Amino acid sequence: MTSTLAVRSISTPEHLDFVRSRSSVSFLQTPAWATVKNEWRGESIGWFRGETLVGAALVLYRQLPKLQRYLAYIPEGPDIDWHGGDLADWLTPMAAHLKSQGAFGIRMGPPVVVRRWNSTTIKAAIADPVLTSLSDVPADVSDDAALDLRQSLKKLGWKELDASGGFTAGQPKFNFQIPLADRSEDDVLAGMNQLWRRNIKKAAKLGVEVTTGTKPDLPAFHEVYAETAVRDHFTPRPLSYFERMWDALNAEESDRLVLYLAHHEGDLVASTTMVRVGLHAWYSYGASTTAKREVRGSNAIQWQMIRDAMAAGATIYDMRGITETIDPDDSHAGLIQFKVGTGGEAVEYLGEWDLPLNRALYLGFTTYMRSRG
Amino acid sequence: MSFELRVDAERWRRGLRALTESTPGIVPVIKGNGYGFGRDLLAAEAADLGVGSIAVGTYAEVPGALKAFAGDVMVLSPWRPFDGDVVYDKRLIHTLGRVDDIAALAADHADSRVIIEGETSMARHGFDRHELAAAVEALGDLKVEGFAIHLPMTGHNLAEAESWAAALAASQVETTTFFVSHLTPDELATIRERRPHLDVRPRIGTTLWLGDLGALSVRATVLDRHQLARGERVGYRQRSMPRDGHLLIIAGGTSHGIGLEAPKASAGAIQRGKSLAKGGLEAAGFSLSPFTIDGKQRWFAEPPHMQASMVFLPASAAVPEVGDTVEVAVRFTTATFDAVVLA
Repeated sequence: MTSTLAVRSISTPEHLDFVRSRSSVSFLQTPAWATVKNEWRGESIGWFRGETLVGAALVLYRQLPKLQRYLAYIPEGPDIDWHGGDLADWLTPMAAHLKSQGAFGIRMGPPVVVRRWNSTTIKAAIADPVLTSLSDVPADVSDDAALDLRQSLKKLGWKELDASGGFTAGQPKFNFQIPLADRSEDDVLAGMNQLWRRNIKKAAKLGVEVTTGTKPDLPAFHEVYAETAVRDHFTPRPLSYFERMWDALNAEESDRLVLYLAHHEGDLVASTTMVRVGLHAWYSYGASTTAKREVRGSNAIQWQMIRDAMAAGATIYDMRGITETIDPDDSHAGLIQFKVGTGGEAVEYLGEWDLPLNRALYLGFTTYMRSRG
Repeated sequence: MSFELRVDAERWRRGLRALTESTPGIVPVIKGNGYGFGRDLLAAEAADLGVGSIAVGTYAEVPGALKAFAGDVMVLSPWRPFDGDVVYDKRLIHTLGRVDDIAALAADHADSRVIIEGETSMARHGFDRHELAAAVEALGDLKVEGFAIHLPMTGHNLAEAESWAAALAASQVETTTFFVSHLTPDELATIRERRPHLDVRPRIGTTLWLGDLGALSVRATVLDRHQLARGERVGYRQRSMPRDGHLLIIAGGTSHGIGLEAPKASAGAIQRGKSLAKGGLEAAGFSLSPFTIDGKQRWFAEPPHMQASMVFLPASAAVPEVGDTVEVAVRFTTATFDAVVLA
């Protein structure tokens, strides 16, 4: 059976118009993201029913060494109607189009939530020594229709990437979000744990001031970010990356990327970036100084971002990835504990999926990726 | 003619009491053939032990249990809307394992008492842990009496039981009663110690009723005996006998649960060679019977009949008299006795 949908390349303005017509898509699916990821070739594609654009995706092509063949990567996308009828109808023409562009395989991350755990549940689970992974904890909400997609994808030949062991695969499968819809600032504050509330109050009392910055403030952010990288043992991105992100995202919408700075008595103590697409706001990068931790700049800056997200009409404040582990002995558990204090919820996405188009090249690629470990 | 279970009642009851006393919260399981004793007899014993509830296997077993036992009766098989013999009673506790079933029961019998079952590595019935929230949502006015897990019998179940106990604590299921099966006394003690807030209630059948096999003996009456010469043909199948000896007709056939396995042919050339070398009757295609006569398990002269068996006894063995009883090894969960004698 041939698909009733056609997939073809669309222009950046067409893509942006479509993004604007949606309540929200991942910021990794905005056309601007292709500019940020300039080491990959980007392409906007659209799904057409007749002449009507009904779905879109940003595809990033990663070239195989020495070959004119690519892995087509659609991070946190595509933005299609995942529950609208036959999945093959959507995915088959996409695969054909990407293959014609030289793709040997496709990787995507359906933006579909399958399970949710609220913070009370997670707190109880962290306190329980037997439960070491979110998967072991009874979810507060399971979406059966979303879970069924897993079977549908398998039937269509897609393979789920193993997301176990933390952040090794592309985008995180488990994320932490604070729902904002129909909640007042007081509601959100009341949902936080005592420590968070106390720290927010403390920062205000000590005179921590949170302001938003402009592009010339990026070097100041980057200085604190580099300090954080040394402390937390991760490889920092260069300043140019953030400047490119600033230019690209804010060219699309003037307040898509906002820089936050928390000062205490003139010293920059924390700095973060927030990205917003439609109703979804993400805390994207965060940094804090080792000095003056006691003034709680991090809590103050988060609270300001949450309030601004609410004021902009966002329904989700997304603190992004957590690992599946809730084992207090695991170094990643501190991250989830910090996030759980906000009273939000852990969400599990459908994960990332691969469709090999050329078996030999795909096999070579996955073996190479595994060897990089 | 009789194929009977004789019980050293005092010794058997001593075992029942010992296990009951050392296992607080025990729920005796009384299902199927009543482990050979019959369900009514066990229900009466359970009442004497002073337990408040018993568990039966299926709804077909419920009416009898309600009549024979005055306390609560729980059904191990999950309730299904298409089950024709479902019974509803204030003393009855249903097991639920599917969200749809919860909703259906809540709609039609809102005041029922229920147990939520988790799907363990047994993979038989029950909820995936991620379905528990949906299960709770569907409960309505149903009264949750506990959470149950049915574990495999491999013996290393503590980790799985604990993981379910933890899952129960982190779930929205509002109960602290935790029904378990197939945990050793040590495992039970460990889980009680680690989960003091849980009321752990072991559901025990085999270990309780058949825990002291020494108190039980199965005796079959010798109904007839015939002297045989080698080569003589006997039985429905007119097989020729391999040696001189006796043919015994003994109470106990397929209707009693004897010889449910078909007599087996030797598997391969090597096996057959071994049998031939040993000169056993297996080489001639005979099967070992569960009857012990003159100290040895004897061979069937032909496959068991419905209510009696024909057993070959070689000339060298002491022959029992007609009317004597012989010992039989049975699988109690599939045996049916003409009589259960408590003495």
